[in-house]
Amino acid sequence: MKKMSFCILGLILFLGPLSIAFAQQPPTIAAVHPFTGPFAFAGIEGSAAMQDVVDMANEAGGINGKKIQYYWSDGEYKNDVGIAAFKRLYAQYTPQVMFGQSTGMTKALGPEIKSRYKVLYSAYTMTSEAANPKENPYLFIAAPTYAEQFGVLLKYIAKEKPGANIAFFYGDSEFGREPIPAGREMAKKMGLKVVAEEVSQVGGVDLTTQILDMKAKKVEYCIFQGFVSNPIATVIKQSKDYGLNAKFMGTFWSTEKQLIKELGPMAGEYVGVSAYSFFYQDDLPMVKKIKEWTKKKYPTIEYRSQAYMQNFLTGLLFVESFKRADKMKGGFTPDNMVKGLQSIKNYDVGGLMPPVTIKDNSIPVGRVYRGNAKTMQFDPISDWIRMD
Amino acid sequence: MRCGDFKENYIDDEAIFPSRFTRFWLALFLIFLIAFPFMANPHLLYIANMIGFAVIGAVGLNLLTGFTGQISLGHAAFIGVGAYTSAILVTRYGISFWLSIPLSGLVSALAGMVIGIPSLRVKGLYLCIATLAAQFIFGFTFVHWESMTKGITGIHIPPPAVGGFRFDTEKSFYWITLLFVILGVGYARNLVRSKMGRAFVAIRDRDLAAEIMGINLFRYKLSAFAISSFYAGVAGALWVSFLKVVTPEHFPFILCIQYLAMVIVGGLGSVIGSIFGAVFMTLIPEILNVLSDMVKSHAPGMGKLIIPFKSVVFGSMIVGFLIFEPRGLAEIWNRVKKFFTLWPFSY
Repeated sequence: MKKMSFCILGLILFLGPLSIAFAQQPPTIAAVHPFTGPFAFAGIEGSAAMQDVVDMANEAGGINGKKIQYYWSDGEYKNDVGIAAFKRLYAQYTPQVMFGQSTGMTKALGPEIKSRYKVLYSAYTMTSEAANPKENPYLFIAAPTYAEQFGVLLKYIAKEKPGANIAFFYGDSEFGREPIPAGREMAKKMGLKVVAEEVSQVGGVDLTTQILDMKAKKVEYCIFQGFVSNPIATVIKQSKDYGLNAKFMGTFWSTEKQLIKELGPMAGEYVGVSAYSFFYQDDLPMVKKIKEWTKKKYPTIEYRSQAYMQNFLTGLLFVESFKRADKMKGGFTPDNMVKGLQSIKNYDVGGLMPPVTIKDNSIPVGRVYRGNAKTMQFDPISDWIRMD
Repeated sequence: MRCGDFKENYIDDEAIFPSRFTRFWLALFLIFLIAFPFMANPHLLYIANMIGFAVIGAVGLNLLTGFTGQISLGHAAFIGVGAYTSAILVTRYGISFWLSIPLSGLVSALAGMVIGIPSLRVKGLYLCIATLAAQFIFGFTFVHWESMTKGITGIHIPPPAVGGFRFDTEKSFYWITLLFVILGVGYARNLVRSKMGRAFVAIRDRDLAAEIMGINLFRYKLSAFAISSFYAGVAGALWVSFLKVVTPEHFPFILCIQYLAMVIVGGLGSVIGSIFGAVFMTLIPEILNVLSDMVKSHAPGMGKLIIPFKSVVFGSMIVGFLIFEPRGLAEIWNRVKKFFTLWPFSY
C-alpha cells in the first residue's frame, strides 16, 4: 500500500508539471528561414522582421499578457534541410504557427500539415497551392499569389494598351513556371495576346536568341517571373542594342532595390508589382514605426527590403490570429488559429498595404511601381489593384 | 592463446560475418535499429529515414563507381526516374506501392543501361560527361512531359498501406526504409563476393586485362549500370513516397555530387563505406545545424556570423578526410577493427 502511494505520488509529481506545461503552452512561432544559400538575401531580412514583430508585440503586452515565443532555424533553401528543420522545431517547441522557406518545402509539407501537424503555416512562397483553403486549410500567404501578381500587371497593361502583344519571360524552375498557365488564361480573358514565351536559366547572360525572338514577334510588354535580378537587367540593357522597344515588368521578388542598382540609369525601364510599401515611404505610419525601430535596435542598418516587409506583415497576421484565437473557446487550437486568421477583415496595417482582408487564404492585392534612376527607388504608378 | 582473426580456407575468407565477434556486434546493432523508433522523436526518425534512402542510393553508386570504376554523374536522374515511376504507377494506374518499388527499380535500371552504353567506348572524364547527359535529358522530361509528370506542379502520392494501416508517419515508414536498407546492403555485400562482383573489380583495375581473362565487358559494364540505377530507382521511389510529393526540383545536379561525395568520403569500393558516407553526409550537416542553433540562441545577434560558418566547417571536414584518409571512413573503420582484433597484443 505504501509502495502504491509512492507510485501515485510520483505520477502526480511527474505528470502534474507536464499537464500544466500543456495548459500553459505559450503562443509560439517557429520559422525556417533560408539564412544561407541562394535565397539568403531574403532569409536574413525575413528572420529579423519576424523577430521585430514578436519583440514589438511582446513590448505591447503580448497576447493578453502571454509573451510570444519565437524560434527559427536555417533551411539553406534546400528542401531536405528545410523539412528537417521544420520537424526539429516542431518536436522541440510544439508551435501553433510555423513559417517555411520555399515553394518546394511548402508543397512537400502541405499534406502532412493538413493531416498531422495542423499548424497555421505561411512561407516565403506565393504559390497558389498555399492559397487553397479547401485543399490546405492551414496554409496561407500574406500577399497575392504569383498568378494574382500577373493579374495585377495584365490589368495594368489592358488599361494602358488594350490588345497589346505580351511576352512571358520566365526562369526554368518551379518558381518561374508556376503562374504561367494562369497568366495565359488571364491574358486571353483581358484581350491581350501572349505572342512569345521565353525561358532562361537564373543568371543567364547570353540572351540574344530570346531578345531577337521577342523583337520578331513585336512584343510590347515583357513580364519576367522566377528571377531576382539577372537576367532581367541583362535583357533590359541588351534589348536596346537589338532594337526591341518593349516595356519590362516583373513580380514581387524582382521589384527590389538590387535590380534598380544593376539597371543604373535604365532603372526607369522597369515596372514591377509589389504587395507592400517600401522602406522609404516613411509617411506611412507602419513604415515610420519600422524605421524608428530599426534605428533604435540596429543603428547600422539603413534599408529594409521587401522580404523584410513580407515577413513583417506575415508576423502581424500571426499575432492577430493569436489574439483572435485566444478569445475563442480552447485558445490556440489549430482550428481556432485558422478561424482567427480567416476572420481578419479590413485590418489596418498602417499603410504597409491597404487594410487587410483575407480571401481564400491570401491577400489578392498589389500595386504597380516604376524604377526611378535619380532616386534609385521605386515610385508607385498605380493605386492598389485588387484581384478578387 | 589465439589472438587475431585468421582465415584458414577460402570459405572463411568469403564469409559475410567472419567471426562471432562480428555477429555479436551486428546483432546488437540490429537490436538498436529495431529499438530506435521507440526512443526517437519524429525529427530523429525523419533523419533516420533520410539516411536510409541515402544508404540505398550510395550503395548503388558505389557498386558502379567504387567497384566497377565507372564514374557516373547521372545518379540523381536515375533516382528521379524511380521516383516518378513509382508516383505515376501508384497515382495513375492504381498499382500498389509494394509492387511499384521493384518496378521503379526496373525502369531506372533500363534507363541506366541506355545511359551506360557509352561506357563501352569512353572512360573517365568522357564517361562523366556522357552520364551527365542523363541529368539534363531526364530533368527536361520531368518538367515537360506534363501529361505524365504534371510538370512543375508535381504529383502528390498517397502513403503506402497494408490493409487499413497507413505508413504515413516517420515512425511507421522507418520500418519500410529499414527493410529496404537491409535488403539492399545484404544484396550488395553478397554481390561483391560473387563472380559478378569480382568481374566488376577486374574491370575497374584494368578493363583490357579483364577482357583478356574472358570477362564480357559489354555485359558486366551494363550490368553495373543496371544494378546501380536499380538501387537509385528504389531509393527515389522510397524517398518520394515518404515525402508524399514529387516535383522536378527534387533532383538537381547537386544531388549527383552529394552522392559522389558520399561514396568518396565513405570509401570507394566498400559497401560499409557507402553506409558511412551516407550517414556522414546526412547527419553532420544536421548536427551542425543543431549546434549553430544552440550557439545562436546563446549569442543573440551573432546568427549572421555563426550560421554561415557551418558550411565552412562541413566543407573543411570533407577536405580533412580526403587529405588525411583518402581511402575514406571505411579505412578508418578497418584500422579501428584491426586494433581491437589484435588487442591487447597489437604489436
